[in-house]
Amino acid sequence: MSTKKEICEACTLGGKSFPVFGPSFSRRRFFELAGTGIAGSYLANTLAPPRRLEAATSPALKGTARNLIFVFMSGGPSHSDLWDLKEGAWTPAAFAPTTFGGNVRFAQGLMPNISQHLGRITLLRSVLSWAAVHSLAQTWAQQSRNPAGVLGDIAPNIGSVVSLELAAQRRAGDVLPGFIALNATPSKGSGYLPARYAPLVATGLSATGLASVKPNAYGGAAAFAERYGLLQTLDTDRAGAPLGDAPADMTDFYGQAKALVDSPTVNGLFSWTAADYARYGSTSFGGAALVAKQLLAANQGARYIQLTVGGWDNHSNIYAANAGLFSQMKFFDPAIGSLLADLEGAPGAAPDKTLLDETLVVMLGEFGRTVGAPNGQGGRDHFLRTGVALAGGGVTGGRAIGVTDATASKVVDFGWSANRDIRIEDLTCTIYSALGIDYTTVRHDDPIGRGYEYVPFAKDGVYKPVNEVF
Amino acid sequence: MSERRDGVLIHFYRSAAALGFFAALSTPVFLYADAADESQPPSQAAADVDCPVAPVPSHARVPNVHAAEPSARTSFAHEAPAAPGAPYAVARAYRNPVDQEIFGKMAADGVVPTVRAGDAEFLRRVMLDLTGQIPDAAQVKAFLADARPDKRALAIESLLASDAFADRWTMWFGDLVENVRTTSANGIEQAPGRNALHAWVRASIAAGKPYDQMVRELVGATGDSFADGAPNFWVRNLTTMGVTQDNYDNLAAVTGEKFLGMQINCSGCHNGAGHSLNLYVQLKTRMDFWKNAAFFAQTTSTRTLDAATTLNKYVLTDNTTGSYLLNTTTGNRPPRQPATGQPNKVDPAFYLTGEKPAAGKPLRAEYARMLTSHPQFARAAVNYVFKEMFGIGIVDPPDNFDLLLQDPNNLPPGQTAQPSHPALLNRLQATFVAGGYDLRSLLRTLANSEAYQLSARYAPGPWNENWTRYFARRVTRRIPAEPLFDALAAASGVLDTLTVTSASPVTRAMLLPDTTEGGGPSGFLNAFLRGNRDTNLRSGDVSTIQALTLMNDNAVVNRIRSGTAATLVARTLKATQKPDEITDALFLTTLSRYPTAAEKTSAVSYLKTGTTAPLLATKTENLQWALFNKLEFAFY
Repeated sequence: MSTKKEICEACTLGGKSFPVFGPSFSRRRFFELAGTGIAGSYLANTLAPPRRLEAATSPALKGTARNLIFVFMSGGPSHSDLWDLKEGAWTPAAFAPTTFGGNVRFAQGLMPNISQHLGRITLLRSVLSWAAVHSLAQTWAQQSRNPAGVLGDIAPNIGSVVSLELAAQRRAGDVLPGFIALNATPSKGSGYLPARYAPLVATGLSATGLASVKPNAYGGAAAFAERYGLLQTLDTDRAGAPLGDAPADMTDFYGQAKALVDSPTVNGLFSWTAADYARYGSTSFGGAALVAKQLLAANQGARYIQLTVGGWDNHSNIYAANAGLFSQMKFFDPAIGSLLADLEGAPGAAPDKTLLDETLVVMLGEFGRTVGAPNGQGGRDHFLRTGVALAGGGVTGGRAIGVTDATASKVVDFGWSANRDIRIEDLTCTIYSALGIDYTTVRHDDPIGRGYEYVPFAKDGVYKPVNEVF
Repeated sequence: MSERRDGVLIHFYRSAAALGFFAALSTPVFLYADAADESQPPSQAAADVDCPVAPVPSHARVPNVHAAEPSARTSFAHEAPAAPGAPYAVARAYRNPVDQEIFGKMAADGVVPTVRAGDAEFLRRVMLDLTGQIPDAAQVKAFLADARPDKRALAIESLLASDAFADRWTMWFGDLVENVRTTSANGIEQAPGRNALHAWVRASIAAGKPYDQMVRELVGATGDSFADGAPNFWVRNLTTMGVTQDNYDNLAAVTGEKFLGMQINCSGCHNGAGHSLNLYVQLKTRMDFWKNAAFFAQTTSTRTLDAATTLNKYVLTDNTTGSYLLNTTTGNRPPRQPATGQPNKVDPAFYLTGEKPAAGKPLRAEYARMLTSHPQFARAAVNYVFKEMFGIGIVDPPDNFDLLLQDPNNLPPGQTAQPSHPALLNRLQATFVAGGYDLRSLLRTLANSEAYQLSARYAPGPWNENWTRYFARRVTRRIPAEPLFDALAAASGVLDTLTVTSASPVTRAMLLPDTTEGGGPSGFLNAFLRGNRDTNLRSGDVSTIQALTLMNDNAVVNRIRSGTAATLVARTLKATQKPDEITDALFLTTLSRYPTAAEKTSAVSYLKTGTTAPLLATKTENLQWALFNKLEFAFY
């Protein structure tokens, strides 16, 4: 029953055993072998993580996507208004629903820009969240694991796993980190994985870019170069690792940080023109979506972007003209619409693909909202039933998977092979499969030695990819 | 890479053995020299530290680790000037148990420890470890000038008595019990309760409340979570949206992990049999875990709206009835159901011993008594504290004890003992218990050991990674987020205002009540992985983001500006325009030491290119930047 690839870095490194205190190895050696999330040219020839194949049968992986954009709609967007529209007396006329994919209804008036791309979008409607508490469900969604469970506190963000897994594909000159988080700090960092797989968090972006990667943060590029030169002269600890692993690792990271600062393009990727900014809606989220596109189009090592945006916790006035969903969509719709359009208009890494073909865009929140007529405050409350929108990256668009009842409360047809609710764990299997990552992987480098499953129980077949989306 | 090095080492060993040196070490005695390269004012010649065997000076003596000489807050101004000259070196039969065990093991295995840290290296280290602060220039100068042979022990005493000591170990205890404003699993806005618990910890540490008493008070707390600190341990571990047994299980798991250093949580979901993680937990069943969790089943936490804050608070009371029931099919754990024909009521019994509560006493108080009187409780505690001081636990990671792997003379077949120094762990545990679970006494023993005071640099020859867990040199690590930020602020003289929810702002990060607060400087603190005491654990890891932050973040570049009157750069330039004086001032205040001769030559010749006052200001800014970015600034 279990097939599975298991990774044991600590036990296989160099094939050595150390006599005194049991298995032990140099952390630096670990990094040399394990690849790096932000290698640049320094570690371009690193090896992929050593893998111990316990059985030959890994699952079939789709491998349809190179990149992923994880749009996290924090607060719990109303699924029965967005991804699983159910019309009733409460539905504002301005929603102006349209039909696509045969019988899929969509609030075109609410999301006019996103509607332009329905041919590339698949809506998942048989999705069920695990918890209706914001913080718990948000973290759960970003690490695909129960935060209250035994590995909940050491689990890495999905993006950190992706960054680690794709590190072996990095080329010389890939200066960007594999995982970049924009607009807000993710609930989860790299967990127990090394900090090089943590997201580079960029919030408060502006037209002029990211202060920390600007050579002219203080005094201009020439001043920076002079300071850096002085540092190299004064800091003799940077040669030969006289103080051990951690400072020596830091020396490598200085080199990589310097490459980011010195790059003629990197700061440009974090800044924008007024015209582009306007197309994306002239908001911080729009700017972040624009930067996401620019980072992926640059093809300099960034592979997983988390775009976090709040404001979906519409307990009241969800349909008010200048509040609730209309207010949210004023910035969300042009940003996502332009993002999808620009991804489609940009060339991919493969000659016959667009960037959208190679980039899976996932839009989800931590849970859905109550359905039917709004509550006494004209809003909707927390609800486990929810929906997810997918686009690009090999997803066959123009349709919905799963059918719910008249209010989007219960599932009538799950619409996929497992014939049950789609859980975040299934969605993560789908993401990993699209990126060519074995979602049944069990790592054996976690600090308590339990074994870290990329998706819990996936190796036992409990969770699996929703292959119907491809 | 190790071929060449190993060759050198073997050569080194053979040379040493040929001298009959190691062969003679039947008792744990070792000879060492000071690393004096960075400790002395530049007028004194740096010592040659190539040879680990040095002559024994007449003033060598054993610091009496228990002779607490009361002194005022950290201040060395009264101390006598230094006696310049040869390196300090001693030979002795160690009295400190840390030295007996650590040097004894090295001697037995032929591992050569490095030299003793120089005074400046020692002072910066011991201040960061004990108080989370770096010394200022006056403290460094006074300490270097102090000729008393026991000046290190005296410095340790004054640090143990300082306010900053209480701040730093409050941060440690807050991390241990994960005191935080809100958690992912419960989403409860608990800032007033968090503040109350922080104040309780601070007062307890400052007053020297025994560690076991602190834990008993937390585990058995009753009362109002906003008025009293201790009940917030319960509140913090609540899981909303689950069944009540989830809360009991959480509390059982957390008390096991934090206070016993054991991952008993595994058996909260399944029996141990077949479990490969932990041999001891393999012997346990889910029923054993439930019995442990049942100690929490007679406590009620009543949620009430606090009028003053309009937030929900919790009032904890102990009842005489209430049971842990095996009647769930939902929640955060697999279904809890009795075996066929068995009752669904679980009677409490302690996980480690099976002891049942005495009749007529509150269950949690009974649990707290059993928990804190078990030897593993003290073992876990001393191991945590040892790791804080030495960088690696005797058992590491310190929250993954396997009780079947503690005694090297009684191991299951094919197994290796977990402790690197089993006898040391036993002795520290016994001393900690005998000394009334006193944190300061434990830290006094650790900090006064010669093993703690070894140099971070390996003087005897090429380093071998396998010697790390021998503690053959200081384990160099990144300064944690808060002390690093505070070092930046203190060295530059530019303080920040760090905001705190439902409390007054503070000026040092070490004063924050949890790792999610601070306002503007949070970006810096998060980059250095302070974690959130919930889903993101504190980490000493390093990253590109940290390098970017030290190079370009406003937290740093705003602190080098000559145009900002408060900066060290501006104040130094106001006092002197002489390159050598500027260099000394910046090194002393930023890195807590004088520059080496080579550093001074480089820095002075660089500053001399500042031929005009504005140009000199820019060069001085750049020197300050370089010192903030020197590895030595962020690592200790």
